Amino acid sequence: MSDSAASSSRKCHVLIGLAAIGVAAVLGLGAMPISSAVGYAGVGPNFLPWVVSAVMLLCGLWLVWEAVTGGFRNLETASGAPQGDWHSFAWVSAGILANAALMTRIGFVFSCALCFVLAVRGLRHSEGRPAGDVRQTLVDAVTGLAISAPAYWVFAKFLAINLPGLTGTGWL
Amino acid sequence: MDIWNQLLGGFATAGTPTNLLWAFVGCVIGTGIGVLPGLGPAVTVAMLLPITTQVDPTASMIFFAGIYYGAMYGGSTTSILLNTPGETGTMVTALEGFKMAKSGRAGAALATSAIGSFVAGTIATVLVTLFAPVLANYAVQLGPPEYFCLILLAFVTVSAVLGQSTLRGMTALFLGIGVGLIGFDQITGQVRYAGNVIELMDGIEVVLVAVGLFAVGEALYTVLYEGRSEATLNKLGKGVYMTGLEWKRSWPAWLRGTAIGFPFGTIPAGGAEIPTFLSYATERKLSKHPEEFGTTGAIEGVAGPEAANNAAVTATLVPLLTLGIPTSVTAAILLNALQNYGIQAGPQLFQTSSTLVWALIASLYIGNVMLLVLNLPMVGLWVKLLKIPRPQLYAGILIFATVGVYGMRQSAFDLFLMYGIGVLGVLMRRFDFPTAPVIVGMILGPLGEAQMRNALSIGEGKWSVFVERPVSAIVLAGIAVILLLPRVLKARTQRRQAAAAEAATPPGEARAGRANA
Repeated sequence: MSDSAASSSRKCHVLIGLAAIGVAAVLGLGAMPISSAVGYAGVGPNFLPWVVSAVMLLCGLWLVWEAVTGGFRNLETASGAPQGDWHSFAWVSAGILANAALMTRIGFVFSCALCFVLAVRGLRHSEGRPAGDVRQTLVDAVTGLAISAPAYWVFAKFLAINLPGLTGTGWL
Repeated sequence: MDIWNQLLGGFATAGTPTNLLWAFVGCVIGTGIGVLPGLGPAVTVAMLLPITTQVDPTASMIFFAGIYYGAMYGGSTTSILLNTPGETGTMVTALEGFKMAKSGRAGAALATSAIGSFVAGTIATVLVTLFAPVLANYAVQLGPPEYFCLILLAFVTVSAVLGQSTLRGMTALFLGIGVGLIGFDQITGQVRYAGNVIELMDGIEVVLVAVGLFAVGEALYTVLYEGRSEATLNKLGKGVYMTGLEWKRSWPAWLRGTAIGFPFGTIPAGGAEIPTFLSYATERKLSKHPEEFGTTGAIEGVAGPEAANNAAVTATLVPLLTLGIPTSVTAAILLNALQNYGIQAGPQLFQTSSTLVWALIASLYIGNVMLLVLNLPMVGLWVKLLKIPRPQLYAGILIFATVGVYGMRQSAFDLFLMYGIGVLGVLMRRFDFPTAPVIVGMILGPLGEAQMRNALSIGEGKWSVFVERPVSAIVLAGIAVILLLPRVLKARTQRRQAAAAEAATPPGEARAGRANA
């Protein structure tokens, strides 16, 4: 690993440690209003939250200590490229978030097909291939529909699981 | 014989056309997702958990067990042909299996892994049949203190034994326990950590976290870092068969693998990784063809670990059914499925839901036969799945992830949360934090808390209740050994190595070395 890569990954390690401390703080703040009605047990519903918060704080401090004294110990090198492909990542993220936002508006089938189109675009881009022209996008949309529509039918019709539809027919 | 009658009853239930169909569909889906990279049995079962609202418990447990089993069979196919193990349990198979396939013996590797899985799975099922009811009878006597200590043991092993670093394992575990705290407290009914968000009052679904970490996390990780990584697909060759000599070399390895795998599955020691590695090491040591290991691929190195893997996977049902303690992520999700039905897994399960338990055990026998047929003659069909292009595969997985998460609670909020947990999954994988402790912590955390508080109530608020009862004291001692022994051994080896290095270097150099340091 080059020096700059090592120092940037150490920075990430510090941030992760700080994030763990942040989680501990949130857990601690959230534990304050929980009642301590102990009953016969001697410990109440606020006991474990405090324990978890304290252990998380210790873990966070320890992680930060490891990070500033040479980085996390026994770290297995992660697979894949050293640098993230954030452009492609944004496409897939957009797909998932659009799906979450539109699910109840345009129904499961179309929302998931849209997610598919956006995600495929990102994944293809990440492989260094052209993300797709109009024709390719249409093919992706049809593929997405061909997966999401049967999934919808199986779950909504056969298993009677409530998924949002654009129409009330249970088919779309 | 009582067990015999109950098992026959189980076969009668599992053998109805509907249940057979569920078992078959489970085996097919399981093999499929085992073959496909990017999806494991845990996340598949998690995505299908919404069916628990509609399908009866016996059918769905048979279905899920088929998926769990099938994924192990299918996973070996991918390990051997593609060298990208889908499950941690089949990682070792990839070591020798991929080498065998490269030197043109893919058929033999696939055959020994499928038949080995069948042999080990069947023997392990027989052992489950014989021992689980006995253990359940004994486990009825365990009280909250013992349960709490067993859960503690599961926590320690899953966070400290697995993975590279105890610290990162602990961080993941406590993150999981923290997530498990959100929502109603089991004993007082008080709401914790929900803020004013209505969606959080009911807690966070395990499905959501499992799917977020494993499916969405995997897709995001792939697009972010693995776009340019390519895997080469080995050719299947002429057919799946073994020569007489290969049979002769496989048999003992299967049996040894089973003997190693089963005990490991029954104790809360974190699933199939340790026994498969142990079996591999054993085979390597005992083999009459040590030169084949790591070069052209030794068949024992596939046969043993595969058998160990399947035996361990089957054995995880023992603690799950008799104690209600899951020892793998998939088992944890199966426990969650039972909880969705309001069924309390534990020793009483053999009495209260005996039809379900015995049908499940019987379905394992049936499922093993189905899987052998699905994986030996039909292996060529499954290999075709490996030709699905990666972009379409992962984008498709996202659709199914949506079904699973949305289907559980019909909340779009959960879908946003799923994305957030997916990003967390990417970070955890990138910085080598194990993910299994999150799920185990999340499921066992609330159970452990309830047991702890009940135990303290029994002890009238005194913590000594945990050491005064023999079984819980023994378990606590076991935990101490697990935590301390590896460290003591490591420190001793390091001291010895340092001493040896000191003795080996001439005195002048050693002094210079110290001065430089």
